[in-house]
Amino acid sequence: MAEWYGYTGRIARVNLSDSRVSIEDAKMEYIDLVLGGIGLASLILFMEVDPRIDAFDPSNKLVFSVGPLTGTMVPGSSRTTIASRSPLTLGWGESHLGGFWGTELKKAGFDAIIIEGKADTPTYLYVEDGRIELRDASRIWGLKTSNVEKSIISELGDPEIKVACIGPAGERLVRYASIISGERVAGRTGLGAVMGSKKLKAIAVRGLLQIRIRWPDKLRSMISRLYPSIMSFPTSQILSSYGTNGEMESFYQYGDVPIRNFTLGEWDGIHKIEGQYMVENYLKRHRACFGCPVGCWKEARVEDPRYGLIEGRMPEYESAASLGSLLLNSDPVSLIYMEKLCNEYGFDVISSGVTIAWAIECFTKGLITVEDTGGLQLRWGDPELIVNLLEMIGERRGFGYILGEGCRLASRIIGRGSEKYAMHVKGLEVPMHDPRAFKGMGLQYATSNRGACHLQGLVMRIEQGERMPDLKIYRRFYRFEIEGKGWLVATMQDWHHVIESLGLCKFVQIPPGHIAGFYLLVTGIEKRLPELQKCGERISNIQRIFNIIAGVTSGDDTLPDRFLSEPVVEGGAKGEIVELKPMLKEYYKVRGWDERGIPTREKLDDLSILGIIESRLDSLEIDIWGYKQSIRS
Amino acid sequence: MSVSIFSEEELRYEIIRVMKALYDRGLVSALGGNVSARIPGSDTVWITPSGVFKGDLKLDDLVKINLDGEVIEGFMKPSVEWPMHTAIYRVRPDINAVIHAHNPITTGLALAGIELKPITVEAVVTLRSVPVIPFAYPGTDELAKLVAERVKGVRALILQNHGVVALGYNLVEAEAIVETLEEVALTQLVAMLASGGREIPMIPERDRELISKLYF
Repeated sequence: MAEWYGYTGRIARVNLSDSRVSIEDAKMEYIDLVLGGIGLASLILFMEVDPRIDAFDPSNKLVFSVGPLTGTMVPGSSRTTIASRSPLTLGWGESHLGGFWGTELKKAGFDAIIIEGKADTPTYLYVEDGRIELRDASRIWGLKTSNVEKSIISELGDPEIKVACIGPAGERLVRYASIISGERVAGRTGLGAVMGSKKLKAIAVRGLLQIRIRWPDKLRSMISRLYPSIMSFPTSQILSSYGTNGEMESFYQYGDVPIRNFTLGEWDGIHKIEGQYMVENYLKRHRACFGCPVGCWKEARVEDPRYGLIEGRMPEYESAASLGSLLLNSDPVSLIYMEKLCNEYGFDVISSGVTIAWAIECFTKGLITVEDTGGLQLRWGDPELIVNLLEMIGERRGFGYILGEGCRLASRIIGRGSEKYAMHVKGLEVPMHDPRAFKGMGLQYATSNRGACHLQGLVMRIEQGERMPDLKIYRRFYRFEIEGKGWLVATMQDWHHVIESLGLCKFVQIPPGHIAGFYLLVTGIEKRLPELQKCGERISNIQRIFNIIAGVTSGDDTLPDRFLSEPVVEGGAKGEIVELKPMLKEYYKVRGWDERGIPTREKLDDLSILGIIESRLDSLEIDIWGYKQSIRS
Repeated sequence: MSVSIFSEEELRYEIIRVMKALYDRGLVSALGGNVSARIPGSDTVWITPSGVFKGDLKLDDLVKINLDGEVIEGFMKPSVEWPMHTAIYRVRPDINAVIHAHNPITTGLALAGIELKPITVEAVVTLRSVPVIPFAYPGTDELAKLVAERVKGVRALILQNHGVVALGYNLVEAEAIVETLEEVALTQLVAMLASGGREIPMIPERDRELISKLYF
């Protein structure tokens, strides 16, 4: 048996249909190909789940995984990956979680937990030091997330237990339901609904095992001396002082902040909802995830006659924009309340905000009427309305039922041309960066395997002027230019898969070359930077093929029409649209994919995964190169 | 072919010694500056790490790379300036040591548009002509290219808005060049300030004829 460092070398498999738990050894040959975290989850799902099934089918699986650096002393090593077939994208789904849960899972002795089947009655899992127990969750079914955590901790009697759970939205299969741990959220692609479909309310974890590190003294020495460099990154102090929303004013200058469903470029309300204003007026305390020197996590406290006392997570940038500027809501206290509502019900702030924006725009254009909304008048800039709609989504009540489908499916249900105003890619609602302000982000949205995703690449950082010599990103890439963006996006996407395979956070920016060093010192496995990058490229391709089997085609590598044909009317990106086609062409070429966006056999062979891919395709009786796949989405 | 009178381990200790000496003299700062040494006769280089305090490097901190920047040994990330170092080694087979320092006075004079003059014998014999390379972003292939284009026949270069580069057959030579640069720059600065703008006397042309005909 292999000697494991960083990795625990153990994977748990829990079948909820027959309550069977088994423990398996991790396979070094797989780890070598794709690392842990999202890499391991991608490979497991690719090998074990037929991407053509419905996300709520009991044969769908849900993987919780951590990386080899999760829970170590490496800065920002708090991260957990969750992945599955998504009910929102109807293809690949993944989301990531900070906080403390991942560290606890590692200390409990597992690199991953694979959830299979479907329980007959509400269930939660308790994981402790190598053991897993299925427990009755009938008493906590229906509870909001903070009460779930309190209840489980009280039942098990250990305040150090870390809980990842769903709220009422997950139970009611809101297609963008999230998974919550503490105040940290795995928000995207609706994996909370997959948990809900399996009647799995929570996974509680407690671990006292030691995380083994190959050369701890050298690692400690290296880390302690790298802090001046790590904390020198441009965003560190802003994130530390004001959180992710501290960048809103800067984004606004670029014309990046979405306003009124991406139709305006200027709006005075920005100054009331940006991070510095929020922190100066409503901060309760600064917090940080495990091992984080930056600490972008802020907690708010405010009393308001409408909402009473609110204590909870300060809105992140994505929340402040999706429930604020996107809807012309400039009421900061309402945003704190809305953030809490979303987290308590357990659904994604971005998807809910974008779906509500779609509904309001369609209402103002007469495409949605009071007959659809149950009498509600939808209008911009109305915090009371937004709160009402969020509660309706969480409870899937009235018009909230349709909104809970996400903007793609909701617009298909409503029809009447409303699809044009649904801002999504592959079903995932567009996050809060207007790609007309950073065109590489447009290509990133169009090609990310989980749909419109700002985090799988963060290309706008480069378009703001950052260089990454370690990844050979030497030159200045300007935000409105097109040339070279195909290469840039592919390079950054692959690298971000590496970060998420190792269990690191993207907001603690460590130069890639040092990350290769951390990997060596933690695991004892010599894998240099180019080899790590190759792991990232493998992950991109495996997920891509998962999507192709699911019926996602190159036609889905696109953007909402608004970004392609409506120039921005004002502000920092005035007059711009996204010229997607030439960037996409370059991207396919750089990736070694054919003109249909299908990875070639040569590329897969070059990545040493052709055998794995062909074997899986054979077992599913699919030939993706011959267009014989059955397309169901 | 060059041969080394040092073992690889001695070479690494020498890099650390040089870095400490430069730090103590204020020619590199906590995070700025980098040193490399080629293993003579080979295409491999030991180089200081990126982002680590330069006054107290350890043997383990150094990284062995090839001329493509691929890490061969060590767990640290090589200096971000590795492309510049390796570009120099590619075009200068006589060079086995490269030092990039942040000499404040040398860099400051260049920013003021003042070139180093033949004011001492060291300036003439040791430094000779010192080209100024226009600004390019640190760590980029563009900077490496600009340096490689101007590095033939010189022992030192000034990087505008950045610092200096000194070359040597071994580390001691490169170290001497870095120190001489700053000594000459300081001397020239003092002379300029004290003379109130009058012309500074230089080493007479007849005494620097051979050098000046070769390098100026």
